Amino acid sequence: MSNSVLWYTTRGAGAVTLILLSCVVVLGILSTLRVQSASWPRFLTTGLHRNLALMTLVFLALHIVTAVVDPFTNLGWAAALIPFSSVYRTFWLGLGVISFELLAAIVVTSLVRGALGHRAWRAIHWLTYAAWPVGLLHGLGTGTDTWSAWMLAITAACVAGVGMAIFFRLTSGSADPLAAARTMFRSAVDRREA
Amino acid sequence: MTRLLGTADAMSPLPKVGSEIIEAIERSRLVGRGGAGFPVATKWRAVAQRSRGDAVIVVNGAEGEPQSKKDRVLMSERPHLVLDGAFIAARVLRARAVILYIGERHDAARNAMLRALSARPESERRLVTTSAAPARYVAGAEAAAVHFLNEGIATPTNVPPYPFERGVGAAPTLVQNVETLAHIASLARTGQAPQTTLVTLAGAVKRPGVLEVEAHATIGDSVLRAGGAIEAPRAILVGGYFGSWVEPEHAWNLPLDADSLRRHGLGLGCGVIGVLPASRCPVCDTAGIMHYLAGESSAQCGPCFFGLRALADACTRVAERGTNPEDIKRLQRWAGEVRGRGACRHPDGAVMFLSSSLHVFAQEFAAHRAHNMSRSA
Repeated sequence: MSNSVLWYTTRGAGAVTLILLSCVVVLGILSTLRVQSASWPRFLTTGLHRNLALMTLVFLALHIVTAVVDPFTNLGWAAALIPFSSVYRTFWLGLGVISFELLAAIVVTSLVRGALGHRAWRAIHWLTYAAWPVGLLHGLGTGTDTWSAWMLAITAACVAGVGMAIFFRLTSGSADPLAAARTMFRSAVDRREA
Repeated sequence: MTRLLGTADAMSPLPKVGSEIIEAIERSRLVGRGGAGFPVATKWRAVAQRSRGDAVIVVNGAEGEPQSKKDRVLMSERPHLVLDGAFIAARVLRARAVILYIGERHDAARNAMLRALSARPESERRLVTTSAAPARYVAGAEAAAVHFLNEGIATPTNVPPYPFERGVGAAPTLVQNVETLAHIASLARTGQAPQTTLVTLAGAVKRPGVLEVEAHATIGDSVLRAGGAIEAPRAILVGGYFGSWVEPEHAWNLPLDADSLRRHGLGLGCGVIGVLPASRCPVCDTAGIMHYLAGESSAQCGPCFFGLRALADACTRVAERGTNPEDIKRLQRWAGEVRGRGACRHPDGAVMFLSSSLHVFAQEFAAHRAHNMSRSA
């Protein structure tokens, strides 16, 4: 019984992680688009983005820990931390490990953003665009519930949500309302060597 | 009595001063003459008390304020005095570099400084590099100068860290206006800071230009020394575009020293005293200056960029279409909302200027009829 509890927890936490992570990605894109309305101020987007990201990590930890300690899987901690070191489903589990480690890097650098500087933080934050699809593929490839109707619906909703957000991000141009003016002013005060 | 202008500019060996000059500066209560009025001793002490490494001295002759000419005149007439101040700073603060940051259009001033520099001893010359400040209002701001020298972009950056903590090449950097450096050089040579200050008289005076006035002289004295007003003044702008309008009868007897001005909620800023004649329309002039200041926002902070533009537009609506209570109310409300919301003090200076306009010219703003601004200004 306790073993199946662990096993169900792994699967459930994996699905919840996908949902949360997709929400975090969508919120992150919405915040760069500066989406807002009277009932949805901008700080709500960034606040939710941050808090859901931390919650994602909690469920991700649950997903990994329950998978590793489950005696039936016999994965071992190394398999959870070193990509493609698992004997069981080497490739698909490896994708999960990569996705987890990218997310961990993104969260850690966000927590120390003040010390890191904006440019480096932003460069690392771009890795989200790798972490999310790699994590999704991990679920598709090795998920026990992948082809059940409810999980297909969840996956489809996550892909549609993130896909739409990326589409708007790509088509809306610069969301920085000051970009044009800043470029113009900078051209007047910029004397860097070409 | 030591003076800055009207005295021969000769080179002589630097006085042997050490860190005790910082106490002398503090006793003289000297404040920066670039516009911000920051206490000089505080900056020097911060650079002197660094934990390690060499310091950098930036000689700030950017002079981006359109009406001000005093820095250029000083650099042209007393380049050695300015350089004395820079090299005294370099010696006292153990600096490895002195950078002459001079406005790119101030050719006469830069040539005079370079000519003077070529006569200085090798031990001084080898410290010096020169840099041309872009001709924009914010380029002379301390953090913008450091940003320019580090990355080639003359826009202000977030402080802290202040340049005197972390400036050019990350070294503690003293950015000091040229007049301030000249004051320090006089102080080091004579043991007494000049009790004078440089001002630029602009607007409706007979002889606009740069004057050296006693610190206790009144605004009226300086207007008279510029030949007097050419017609009845409507108001006097104290401190340039980041300054304030003052009623002439109130301004006339106001002493120009920093303490007296501060007691009246004023500041000498960069030392511009502008005389607005009664024949000009203060509303149209305010709109014109607000437009200039909005255009000088470096577009880094939303409240400054959008706020100043909205304020300038509201001023222009009143100027061009006549007064309306909505715009007057907006101007008053927005002016309060912009203050303190930028990385630098650009928005604060602009709304301080605007608030004094709304106060001193309250009647004109309330009764203004449509003007064609291009004709009036």
